Amino acid sequence: MTRKIQKIGRRTVVVSGLAVMAAAALGAGASAQDAGLGTAEHPVEIRVSANESFANQMQTLVVPEFNKVYPNIKVTVDSVPFVEYLAKAMLDITSPSPLYDVAIVDEKWVPQLASTGGLADLKSGDIAAWTDVGYDWDDFYQAALSSGEWSGVQYGVPLRSNLLLMFYNKTLFEKAGLPAPTPELTWTEYLEQLPKLVQDTNGDGQVDAWGIDTYFIREPNTPAIWQAILSGNGGRFFDENAQPAFNNEAGISALETHKKLLDYAPPGALSHGFTESLQAFRQGQVATLFNWVSVYKGTAIDAATTTLKPEEVGVQALPVGSVSGGTYRGVWNGTVPANSQNKQAAWAFLQWLSSKEGEQFYANELGIAPARQSTLNSTPKYDWLVPVFTAMRQGFEVAAQGEMWTLRHPRSDAALQVITDETARALANEIPVAEALQIAADRIPEALQ
Amino acid sequence: MTTETTTYRERRVRSLAFARIGDFASRWTFMLPAAIIMIAMLAYPISYMTQISFSRFDLMTFSPGEWVGWDNYAKVLADYRFWSSLRVTAVYLVFALPLQIILGFGIAYLIHAEWRGRGLIRGLFIIPMVVAPVVAGGIWRMMLDPLWGIANYFLGFFGIGPFDWFGDPNLAMASVVIIDTWRWTPFIVLIASAALLSLPRDVFEAAEIDGANWWQMLCYIALPLLAPIIAATFVVRWLGAVKMFDIVLSATLGGPGAATKVINLFIYEEAFRSLRFAESSAMAVLVLVGTTILTGIFLWGSRRLENEP
Repeated sequence: MTRKIQKIGRRTVVVSGLAVMAAAALGAGASAQDAGLGTAEHPVEIRVSANESFANQMQTLVVPEFNKVYPNIKVTVDSVPFVEYLAKAMLDITSPSPLYDVAIVDEKWVPQLASTGGLADLKSGDIAAWTDVGYDWDDFYQAALSSGEWSGVQYGVPLRSNLLLMFYNKTLFEKAGLPAPTPELTWTEYLEQLPKLVQDTNGDGQVDAWGIDTYFIREPNTPAIWQAILSGNGGRFFDENAQPAFNNEAGISALETHKKLLDYAPPGALSHGFTESLQAFRQGQVATLFNWVSVYKGTAIDAATTTLKPEEVGVQALPVGSVSGGTYRGVWNGTVPANSQNKQAAWAFLQWLSSKEGEQFYANELGIAPARQSTLNSTPKYDWLVPVFTAMRQGFEVAAQGEMWTLRHPRSDAALQVITDETARALANEIPVAEALQIAADRIPEALQ
Repeated sequence: MTTETTTYRERRVRSLAFARIGDFASRWTFMLPAAIIMIAMLAYPISYMTQISFSRFDLMTFSPGEWVGWDNYAKVLADYRFWSSLRVTAVYLVFALPLQIILGFGIAYLIHAEWRGRGLIRGLFIIPMVVAPVVAGGIWRMMLDPLWGIANYFLGFFGIGPFDWFGDPNLAMASVVIIDTWRWTPFIVLIASAALLSLPRDVFEAAEIDGANWWQMLCYIALPLLAPIIAATFVVRWLGAVKMFDIVLSATLGGPGAATKVINLFIYEEAFRSLRFAESSAMAVLVLVGTTILTGIFLWGSRRLENEP
């Protein structure tokens, strides 16, 4: 595999070198100022901003692999907390000389950042010229690639393609006398199973296992749960004009279903989010978990982080609604600030990361969710990845079918905050579900201005 | 004789005037460096924030743009979430501040007596203060968790609970108050201990000779003497408590519902999640003005207590 990467790398270097020479001959100002790919004597240094959840992994495990191909590009990955990321990214990319040459951003921020004019178009100009001829754009799942697009321009490439999926504990299903879920499991069947999954597994008279845990806390990922339910029933969160489309019977039913899940969740689940629900599942206390596919390795494989065995854990899309199964896309995209002085090196880094070879490395070795069909259709290096790849293929298909992703709009965060607030109030029984959706729908047009 | 008296008076008036000017100059000589630093560190950010609050914030340039007058203030005042956050903040302050003051002075009074290990206990009291608020919130979140937390397990021995500390709106607010009290009561204990040490011993000795018991000495001597210090401590703690943000962020995220969404969390979310910098600046200005007025009232009350005979 390393040889393959080196082969691609050499090809990239030759093509990029020719492109630079051609651009220089034509007197292209921007290219002339770019630091290129560096030499042994004068290496190029690029800085990457990444979310705290994976910045360290990228610096310590991914960058050394990249440097085997591009030894003259020194990469520093800075960790930025999620809640501060957007404001910092906005500030940086609008600067005439941004600190970062690569910004790895959540998909919902792409329209926001792109609309400032601060992101480079990855499919035209210099970057197109620097792109390896073998770089296969069409190989990406459309549902993943479109996350980096805004107004018909490709600003980002998918680097970590997360999908919201249903994890299940086969042992707890067996103890409850229920069959393990299949991709055909419907919401009706699932809701019938949930009361039986609240059980006393050791016979001491105390309930010690519950049916479900997921996001119920007041935070921006929580509405993704009922959006996935809504989408599976053929409903939509927003219409094509970015206006709320959830304030109807289908939306009320989806949020009511999300709220009903609390009846079968562990005590205190109203304050559970990513970490708490994951811990409950990993400790064998809940039978099903709606969480991101990226947690599979730590949930089923790594003995240091889970009490479960690989054969106990299953994963698939959320139960089937009236139209399809449910999921929710959450992709981290690699972008290049338009004013970066090291665009060629930055693109070389992103191109390698999102190449077929780069994806094979990090999907197999690090368990990071890939976005290419060639990766997900290949035979993974480890057996435990087989169900993950299968579930992801299923997830990408239903995501594309039901457009199961966040609002695409330059002010999407403001709208999402309104939905988060009202979802939290409905889940906490502060106001009825219908009233919460009405308030959210009324407030969103102003938030989007 | 009259001329001599007049000359003497003139001289005295002149020397008094010089003394006043000298006093004024020496005061400002000491105060000037601090004043300059304060203006640089506070006046500029506050004036910039005020400017943003009267503008449309341009995300393209990340700076205040067009002047919009009072529009942002009108939007904020019409937003139910602003008033709801203020109410939540008021509830938190009403419970947390008196509790911390009473506990702080109570503990200080109890450990004021001479006993072995008093110094060690005083030292241990400092620990919660040096724990980062986010860490404190995280630790308490684990301890109060209904599934794995030690709090419910411990209360279970007494047949109490289990409680859903962060899932019930009232208990969630109680949890925030408990965590904040755990962090800040030691600070009050330290101030109160110093204040108790400074109380005149002879008054207590005289009361003891007159047959006053422990309770009478507390109610009729210690508390009246401590009143100005209690008032000053209240003002200091009020200024800290009104900024409450980090514990809520790490423990409850403002939930469940909006039960613990204090005003600073709301301002933060509007600014850094929704990127509504203009509206959040308007909120910050309103909170600043409100806090300043209330602080002024508390300081006035505190001075009155100090000046009481």
